[in-house]
Amino acid sequence: MNKGAMTKLSAAARREENWGWIMVAPTIIGLLVLNLWPFVQTLYTSFCEHLGFGHYRFIGLQNYINMFQNAEFWRATWNTIYFCILTVPLGLFLSLLVAMLLNAKIKGKGFFRTVFFLPMVCAPAAVTMVWRWIFNAEYGILNQLLGTHINWITDSKVVMITCAIVAIWSNIGYDAVLLLAGLQNISKSYYEAANIDGASKTTQFFQITLPMVSPTLFVVMIMRLMSSVKVYDLIYMMVEDTNPAVTSVQSLMYLFYRSSFVAGDRGYGSAIVIWTVLLIGVVTIFQFIGQKKWVNYDV
Amino acid sequence: MKRFPRVTALALALTLLLSLSGCGASDGKTHLKFQIWDVNQRDGMQAMCDAYTAKNPDVVIDVQVTSWSEYWTKLEAAAESNTLPDLFWMHTNQILYYADFGMLADVTDLYDDVDPDFYTNHYSEISIGNASGTDGRMYGVPKDKDNVVLVYNKEMFDAAKVPYPDETWTWDDMTEASQKIYDETGKYGYMAYSDEQLGYWNFVYQNGGYILDENNQYAGYTQPATSEAIKYYVDLQKNDWCPTQAYFAETSPGTAFFSEIGAMFFEGSWNLLASMQNYPNLVGKWDIAPLPACPNPKSGSGRATISNGLCYAVGAHSKTREIALDVVKFFGTEEAQRIQGESGAAIPAYLGTEESWSTAFQGFDYMLDLDVCYDQFDDAIQYVNSATRRKWTSIVPEVMTHIYNGGDFDENMAYLQNLADSYVTSD
Repeated sequence: MNKGAMTKLSAAARREENWGWIMVAPTIIGLLVLNLWPFVQTLYTSFCEHLGFGHYRFIGLQNYINMFQNAEFWRATWNTIYFCILTVPLGLFLSLLVAMLLNAKIKGKGFFRTVFFLPMVCAPAAVTMVWRWIFNAEYGILNQLLGTHINWITDSKVVMITCAIVAIWSNIGYDAVLLLAGLQNISKSYYEAANIDGASKTTQFFQITLPMVSPTLFVVMIMRLMSSVKVYDLIYMMVEDTNPAVTSVQSLMYLFYRSSFVAGDRGYGSAIVIWTVLLIGVVTIFQFIGQKKWVNYDV
Repeated sequence: MKRFPRVTALALALTLLLSLSGCGASDGKTHLKFQIWDVNQRDGMQAMCDAYTAKNPDVVIDVQVTSWSEYWTKLEAAAESNTLPDLFWMHTNQILYYADFGMLADVTDLYDDVDPDFYTNHYSEISIGNASGTDGRMYGVPKDKDNVVLVYNKEMFDAAKVPYPDETWTWDDMTEASQKIYDETGKYGYMAYSDEQLGYWNFVYQNGGYILDENNQYAGYTQPATSEAIKYYVDLQKNDWCPTQAYFAETSPGTAFFSEIGAMFFEGSWNLLASMQNYPNLVGKWDIAPLPACPNPKSGSGRATISNGLCYAVGAHSKTREIALDVVKFFGTEEAQRIQGESGAAIPAYLGTEESWSTAFQGFDYMLDLDVCYDQFDDAIQYVNSATRRKWTSIVPEVMTHIYNGGDFDENMAYLQNLADSYVTSD
């Protein structure tokens, strides 16, 4: 009897497991068809020469050899890393600042939250066009206000900073909303206890807020870094291929676009994509190792 | 209350079913999709389609516009999956790629029942060339043709007391006028920026040089007349009266011109009507002139203007191929080309109907000197293209940028030359 109950139980458990599979099937199938299969295809394409209209010829590692010998490619890799260095730390810091301000007791909180989130719902192309006019060296409002004559978009030393400014501005709202959710999960009793103990606001920030929000901060950081490595539309809109500073700002994805869709060399383009995926993978692994030192999962 | 979701679900399912049935053509007519990229020409294309469907009531043509930047990505994907639109525009940059891969229907014999020499009788050699594959057969019916003109600001010429440009002008006249205008008004003169069709290609052919040799194979970048002309063009930016490439990266010559900051730039005839419409305050303040000639060409007359043209193409494996070919056949007739011209869409390719294009300009208070466009076809040079060009053409602006940034001129020209030639020999 005991045995019979066991099998009956496991049959029920199995049925439940089957249902579990059915429930996640739409997502799993979607991932396989829309993400994994294209990735496999991209990997294969990176070993091929594109002859035209979907016809490929296998050429082994030739695309990778060409890529690693190309100075433009290494420049684009460095540009991408440089872009991440410029945007991620500062962007996270500002997002956290904004999130804390929006979490404070201020009037019109809903209004400010909307304002900060607005850049996220604007089309990147339109946003960039407006920024281009702001940064225009001759007629832009920024140079007029500062009384300077900085070639924001065409000086090879400045252009990356310009792009970073726009990128940070566009993303603050989104990151801040995520961090805000993290901040709101922190129980008020911690702060009350800290106030009774006489801890200053700065101490409270470093001893309570930062550790408590660190899991969210970690997730936001990974997402921000991934999207920064993949930066394309912003730079594409900001800098045209006749811009004298184009080589100083061209990211890996920009190079990929030009190889695959302008020059029609999809094999080479795919090799660049695979390289970028590896880059993201390595960075993410390091982040997961590093998180043990600063991310706090104790509630 | 509990029944409510079911009712909603049923209603939703019904709506879905209804919308699905709407997709099928249940009216017994043939529905064709006509894909184009220029929204300014939609009405002209629609007028031509209406003329066709008036005679063939069992055909419905749906004109669809996709922006230029998306057009080619979409079209290539469609060609790969064998779902090309029934008929579509083809550009010189792309026709060889599509035609040589067997993606386009051969239209060489399309008019044999009317006149075996239809194309040569009614279309210029350049128009036919722009619609031909590498094998010399035609894969599109010529649609329009264009050339490059000099656009100038009359008020700035008046202020500097310089006579307006005319057909006697040479490069020297242009640079002298630029200097005078700059000295007198502080405005820029001729705005020379990094561009092929609207820039140095014209100078190269005026000087007797070439970008691709007469067999459309090997490049000519290191050929003396070619490199001399390109160098001349690049060096124009060293003058005070010409903005630098950094300036042009932010402000296009067209924007500068129509903001009344510069006095002259090269513009394609296809943009003239839109410029009249988009800048109503400036109508009457500017006009067009022939491109200035090279004063001492290495060979030839010193005159040249790059002329391109589009064509109408039909997919080679399309199910509606025969009907689509019949539509395209109509588009190539005098009647359809005239409709196109009068709509202002573009200068018709059909010989003798060119001036119908002027009709579209008659609504303005000022009439541009459009004869310049028509007369310049005598000096027209076919848009540069070859089967291998698409593999290296995206590198050209980059190399030009190196030169504008002060890179060694001859070295960069040699690089371009080798790059372009390497694809010819490897094929």
